This record gives sequence, C-alpha cells and structure tokens, in this order.
Amino acid sequence: MRLPQFDYKGPDTLEKALDLLSTHAQDAKILAGGTDLLVRMKKGLIAPKTIISLKALNELSYIKKDKNTIRIGARTCLADIIASDSVRKEATALSTACERVGAVTIQHFRGTIGGNILQDNRCFHYNQSAFHRSGRQACHKDGGKICYARDESDRCNSTCQSDGATALMALGAKLVLVSKGNERTVALTDFYTTDGIMPFAMEPTELLKEIIIPVEGGKSSYQRLAYRSAIDYPIVCAGVLLKASAKKDTIEDARIVVGAMGRAPLFLAKESSELKGKSFTDTKAFQKAGNGAMNSASTFAVHNVGSTLEYRCATVSEMVFRALQEAVAEASKA
Amino acid sequence: MTIINFKLNNDLIEYEIKDHWTLLHLLREEMGLIGTKEGCGNGECGACTVIVDKLAINSCLYLAIDADKKTIETIEGLASTDGKLHPLQQSFVDNGGIQCGFCSPGMIMSSKALLDGNPDATREEIKHALAGNICRCTGYLQIFESVEAAKHTGGAK
Repeated sequence: MRLPQFDYKGPDTLEKALDLLSTHAQDAKILAGGTDLLVRMKKGLIAPKTIISLKALNELSYIKKDKNTIRIGARTCLADIIASDSVRKEATALSTACERVGAVTIQHFRGTIGGNILQDNRCFHYNQSAFHRSGRQACHKDGGKICYARDESDRCNSTCQSDGATALMALGAKLVLVSKGNERTVALTDFYTTDGIMPFAMEPTELLKEIIIPVEGGKSSYQRLAYRSAIDYPIVCAGVLLKASAKKDTIEDARIVVGAMGRAPLFLAKESSELKGKSFTDTKAFQKAGNGAMNSASTFAVHNVGSTLEYRCATVSEMVFRALQEAVAEASKA
Repeated sequence: MTIINFKLNNDLIEYEIKDHWTLLHLLREEMGLIGTKEGCGNGECGACTVIVDKLAINSCLYLAIDADKKTIETIEGLASTDGKLHPLQQSFVDNGGIQCGFCSPGMIMSSKALLDGNPDATREEIKHALAGNICRCTGYLQIFESVEAAKHTGGAK
C-alpha cells in the first residue's frame, strides 16, 4: 500500500514544531511513531498535506521522576517506558499497558506514549480500505450522517482502544498541551469530547508535550482482553489504582477505569467510591465492583469492534475483578 | 525530492527519494530488493521486517526519509557473496523453518536482531521477539527450533 503525497517537515526544536503547527494547523498532522497515522493514511482515511515529524525532537523524549510525580515526554518510546524501573514500580498499570501494545517491532522503535494516547478512535465499520467504504454511504466519522454501529445515532460511536490512556486515566494522569506562546495542563478525564469524530478536547494548533503521573503510593494494575496477544487492539481493558489506608489493611481510595468500550476510557466514579473502606481481603466487594463496572460500561458499548457485544460486556466484570486482585496483591506486598 | 544517505548491507548509498515513500517502497519498488516482503502494509504481519540500527522494525511503517544516516540490514545482506547462506538461514533450511517462505525474510530478520543483541536467547525470548511476525502456514514450532538451533551454529554472532 502506498502513502498519499505530503510535505515532510522535521523540526529539531519544540519552538520550530509549534511554529509549523500554527502555520499549517488545518492540513497538518503530527507524526511521532507513525503506527496509527501512517496506517490511516494508507487506507485513505486522512490525507494531510503536511506531516510534521517529531523524529528529531529528542527534547520530548524523557522520563523524569521527582518526589510526587513521574513526568514522561510525549515522544518517549514505549520501550523506554517498559524499561523504566520507576514506572514499573510507581505506575505499574502504565508499564503493563505499554507491554501489551503491538510487538517489539512496534514498541521498541516506532510507538510513542503520546501517539498511543492520541491514536484515533476506531470502529470496524470505518477502519476499512477505501474500496470497502466505497460500497456504502459515508458514516459520521467519514463525513456522512449514518452510524453503522448504532442505528439512527446522531453522532459517531467509534471506540477509544488505547491501552496507555486507560492505564493513565486510572493513575489520574494529566496532560500538558502546548501551542505557540501557550501552555495548559488538563486532566486526562477532562480531555475527551462526547463525539467520536474528534474525540480529544484539543485545538489543531496544540501539541501534546508531557504526561504527568501523580505518585502517591497507590498500587495500580492493568488487564486487557484481545484476540491476539501481540499486535491487536483490546476488545475490553481495565485499569485500576488502589491506595491503602495508614494501617495497610483497608482501601482508602480507588479508581476503576474501563477502556475500549466507549468513545473514551470510562472512569467509573460510583464503583470506585464504593470500594472505599473495604478490606483488602473482601473478594465479594471486588466482584460487586466488577459487576457494577459491567453494568455502567455496557451502556456505552456499541457493536463496533470485531467481537460480539454480549461477550465484551460480560468480560468487563472479569477484567475489572482481575485488575483489582492484582493491585491488591501488589498493595499487600508493599 | 530529498537526498538521503544510508548504509545498506555494508554499502554506502545515496538516494533521491520522495517524502511519502516508505522504507519498504524504497527497498522493493525503487531499489529492486524484493527479498523484503509486503504483507498487510499496516504493521500487523511483520513480513516487511528489516533491521535499522540493530533494531527490528516494520519497514512498511517507516518513512524512507527517516532512514537518513541509518544503518539498514535486509535479508539480501545475510548470505556471503559466494552464495554461502548465513547460519541463521541455513538453520531455517535444515530445521524446516521455511515453509511457503513468504514470512521467512521477516522471521529471519527479527531473529537476527534478537540474536545479535542476545546470543543466548531463551525460547520465551525468541517467542517474544517473533510475536510481531505472522506465519500463515502456522509452522511456528519449526521456526522457533530453527532460531534455537542457530544459536549453536554461529547465527548468534
């Protein structure tokens, strides 16, 4: 498959990249690893005139640990995150999630964490070849007015299948977005729109610069279900964060996030808060949280991934339950 | 048009490329090195695996322009000039690791990248390194055996 033609820009400083982005905002795309963008371009889903490559922007590739946070540059390779001891220790969910993305050929040399978060939403009615899509009317995401995943839907129901974003939302991460002369920090939970066409609340002139993960002594874990263990998108995934109370026997705070079900990773506030004060050995409470998560997440699910809806919904509870058990095992070790 | 310089299988190459070419396109369509295969073109199958700066990558998702100043190894560079196969290739032949042969260049390049960095790779590490390569003849066992056997016949150099 060939790529459509484009102009390639390879700025070597962040300033130059932001300049280029502000000039070409409407018809430019940012290229980090390319494992999402280039595939979409090959399938004719997008055809940006300009590609701004971050290859030479080494200033955006770092993992910095200080007292209360881990800061990760947006262009950091997934392999660097997997190899980082501090991420493995303090943000286990992210480390596990990155390990599950692609295979070594994707992780080590191409895929970046910024690209993983900003990968476009997917839907198996949309992510098809131009030939396949030419056989029927365009859907919302393709500029039309139909949704093939949910009848008579007035909006796009594509799904966010990012492993990284699900884990990061569980960890309570924040994103730093920069544009020319401007910088803002936004919580990952506030970063998503309710629309699948442009799922991210960011301007075309903005660039994801950094991910900030708060480190407050909690234990996190990540579980995913996919047909292939390598190079496949999750059909259901879950990330959890548990904080132990001072006595280390009960849960002081919990965060449960279910991914690959909705237009964004779903932070389940009700199920999370119900775990507060529960004992670490209270398996029933974890099962209840899993079932609650299944009920809540199911309302967002539509038939847009290559698996039946019933199966995906049913496995949510198991993914959440396993993630909770794993986090508990970690927490009791500490 | 952009001019890039890179090292391909020990030859220094200067090539005028278009910005939208992938490395796979450059190798196959422009330079005629058709040993590297195009399978899915989406980074899912690994048939296009080549080694860039000692690391295995999917050349279908690697822009040719990014190959500037890099060292690239393809399947064509493995056998010596007198036609003697690389130990890894010989091992694939001897152990039945080649079936229809379409995935073999990718499998061998992924294995070479692994063994170059980790000459004593375990079966698990081999499986992990080859997780991005699909074989539709599904003879994965012979392929793993081939890589393991090559460790002792000089493939891990």
